[in-house]
Amino acid sequence: MPFLSIEKQIEKIKNDFHQTSDLATRILSKGNMKVGFVYLKSITSNEIFGDLLFRPMSTTGKSITLQTLQESIIKANDILEISKTEIVDNIIKGGVIILLEGEEKALSVDILNYPTRAPQEPPTSPVIMGPREGFTEDLKTNLSLMRRRLASKDLVMKQLNIGQYSGTKVVISYVHGIADEKIVDKIENKLKKIKIDGVMDSYYLVGFLQEHENSVFRQVGMAEKPDIVASKLLEGKVAIIVDNSPIVLTIPFILFEDLQNSNDYYTNHHYTSFIRIIRLIGIMMAIIASGLYLALQLYHYNALPLNFLITIADTTQGLPFTPFLELIFIFFLFQILYEVSLRLPSYLGLATSVVGALILGDTGVKAGLISPPGVIIVAVSKIALYLIPSQSSQVTILQIIFIILGGSLGMLGIMGGLVYFTNYLNGLDSYGVPYLAPYSPRIKNDLQDGIFKENISDIHTRPETFNNKNKVRLK
Amino acid sequence: MKDSTINARQAGMLCVMTLFANKIFLLPSLMYENVKADAFFVMIFLFAMELFVFSVFLLLKSKYPDKTLNFILEKHLGRVIARIIYILFMVFFLFKMLLTYSVCYVYLKQLVYQNEFTLLALVAILPVVNHAVICGLRTFSRTVELYFFVLMAGIFICLAVGLVNMQGMPFFFNSSASSFFSTSFKHIFSFGDYLFLFLIIDKVKIKENETKTMFRFILLGIASILCIFFIFFSIFQITAFMHNNALTDIISVSTRLNTLGRLDVIAMVTIMFLCYFQMSIFLFSFSEAFCNVFHKLNRAYSVCVFDVVFLLSYFVLIGRYENMLIYTQGWLPYYSIATNIVIPIVLFFISLPKMRKEVIYEKNY
Repeated sequence: MPFLSIEKQIEKIKNDFHQTSDLATRILSKGNMKVGFVYLKSITSNEIFGDLLFRPMSTTGKSITLQTLQESIIKANDILEISKTEIVDNIIKGGVIILLEGEEKALSVDILNYPTRAPQEPPTSPVIMGPREGFTEDLKTNLSLMRRRLASKDLVMKQLNIGQYSGTKVVISYVHGIADEKIVDKIENKLKKIKIDGVMDSYYLVGFLQEHENSVFRQVGMAEKPDIVASKLLEGKVAIIVDNSPIVLTIPFILFEDLQNSNDYYTNHHYTSFIRIIRLIGIMMAIIASGLYLALQLYHYNALPLNFLITIADTTQGLPFTPFLELIFIFFLFQILYEVSLRLPSYLGLATSVVGALILGDTGVKAGLISPPGVIIVAVSKIALYLIPSQSSQVTILQIIFIILGGSLGMLGIMGGLVYFTNYLNGLDSYGVPYLAPYSPRIKNDLQDGIFKENISDIHTRPETFNNKNKVRLK
Repeated sequence: MKDSTINARQAGMLCVMTLFANKIFLLPSLMYENVKADAFFVMIFLFAMELFVFSVFLLLKSKYPDKTLNFILEKHLGRVIARIIYILFMVFFLFKMLLTYSVCYVYLKQLVYQNEFTLLALVAILPVVNHAVICGLRTFSRTVELYFFVLMAGIFICLAVGLVNMQGMPFFFNSSASSFFSTSFKHIFSFGDYLFLFLIIDKVKIKENETKTMFRFILLGIASILCIFFIFFSIFQITAFMHNNALTDIISVSTRLNTLGRLDVIAMVTIMFLCYFQMSIFLFSFSEAFCNVFHKLNRAYSVCVFDVVFLLSYFVLIGRYENMLIYTQGWLPYYSIATNIVIPIVLFFISLPKMRKEVIYEKNY
């Protein structure tokens, strides 16, 4: 059906947008010809509109048709000829719709422009040496960061829109010829089935992508740096990049990935192995140290060295709480301080730390409410938690479980807890990949980048843990 | 419930884990009471029987690579006898579990908790073991795989510390042949652990040449236990019968190395893990046998039934640890003759006739 009247057509579009105030409309009269412009001024640039569209059209001596506009008058790159039904979608995506009287079709020129920040080093993944760029909230920037690192025709980006109202762009990215197509299809199908009102961040999709939805343990990888995501794609994984989120999801995911750090790949491999052992010990300490201390203090004090036992006896004498309640009290105190320091502005956060450390800690000990060994044990386990920041939420839950186990059942409870959770983790898998691989089950080939890391020149194959197609990495 | 296959390496590790626990507490001192240091040879003799069971398993596996024990038994012996054999296994593994639990409880009571903690022990052990069985064989085998080398390191540290404290060679050949065989008979119930392999015969996938891997693990387990016995007898000599916790006593007797710290904690932690694993294997075996007797009931039912029967047996039938010892050396050895000797011999004959006609190992899985 032809466009009979520009004004009527513009009015119809305005009605489609419920007369929203940021919908800008202009009509240019050029002789007998009327040209209508419709766009959302909140996501487009007025300057670009003026420079590339309005000014050239108002000053041109040529007759204005869809053909002349596309070929010579409009200087922009992204020009699409669209039908009447596609107008609303293109306006939402940041296009200016050009309506010509008497034409069945319209033009959409992409002048999308909104505030974005430049790639910066992400706060959770700083490196001493190595690339510092991190993802931003802008999808286009993120895709360009990926393309820069993997300049290959085999890097595939499949775009979907998820969210009834947000219409968030979600890109599934993988390297063709390396990634398992079955996993890609499975992810795509899962994403297509999501019927949600809006996706504000990539984390919204985690619950839909996890195979064991209600598990405490995360089964989707998260990365904030393009170099990490690019190297994961080269291992055969699939990345999910979400518009408005600086966090990229990677699938399949194994627990051991969180023990790795981008620094590991930019430093000496011997040192990396040492640091990974420290991380492993640290995370085990974070999980069981408080519970173990409680078990030893309550049930197995004879297993403690005599001098240490005397110290504990001296410092815990006269405390109003039982050891179990004391540790629970300190644990919650630390957790409250942590939550407060996260949410307060930095200058107030500093004050909270001083209040927490000095007033609550030191004065609590002096007042005889809590014991120094208790404070030290909880503090050590809380600090060790941040050796692997991405696991902090899971480990915090495990900490409290192990405190209860240690306090109620002693060492047997701690060991039982370890066996129980290991069994539980072994029962999890992420898209067919065992969660505790390459150690349980042992995958010999992948141990070269396990706790002990080999030199990059010795790692000839991709990890067998992930069902990648092309095994050879280095010839 | 995930009941899929395990590989030869994982099966080998399960074989090692099922050997430990109840053999490293009281057994050395009990045996020493009967035949002095010749208990070492009794162990070798009883382990030879275990190796026979393992060999029968391999023969049967080569003949029926993917078949369940139920299929094999029903085919050769009929449905009724198959059921009877499964019931025998059920009772056998129930009492194995009771024995392991009892010795573990006594050990923890004496050395760790230092007073009665019956309810706590049940709460700490039963849910974990139940969960391990419900998770399935593959999941549990992976857990064992993860802890295996840590636990073996714990045992080797105990052995290394024990070596430093050795007083000299134990005095061998002090007992008669009759006391040798009577002791072997008395303690036969503590063996027969490899019978669990028959129950999971269809779930173990052995590739070509992987029997060696399994065999290496089995030898490692047997050698470790023999080393514990040898070092235990060497350290304590004629007072060995007084020491009820072999592995812990080996390590805690060291005056020189204990200046490093409380090394007995290593033995304590190792033993706790070993007990969990051994009990899980026994419960799994019970559950397998149960599911083959009552085909319509699944594993969750078998675990529930086990818990009820276990608690009733423990509190009503056994009551005290000493009673368990009386059973172990009283009527259970006669029972074990049926399970540890008769059934493997029957299975051995079953594995013989068509052996040459069959493909020995499947190649692609």
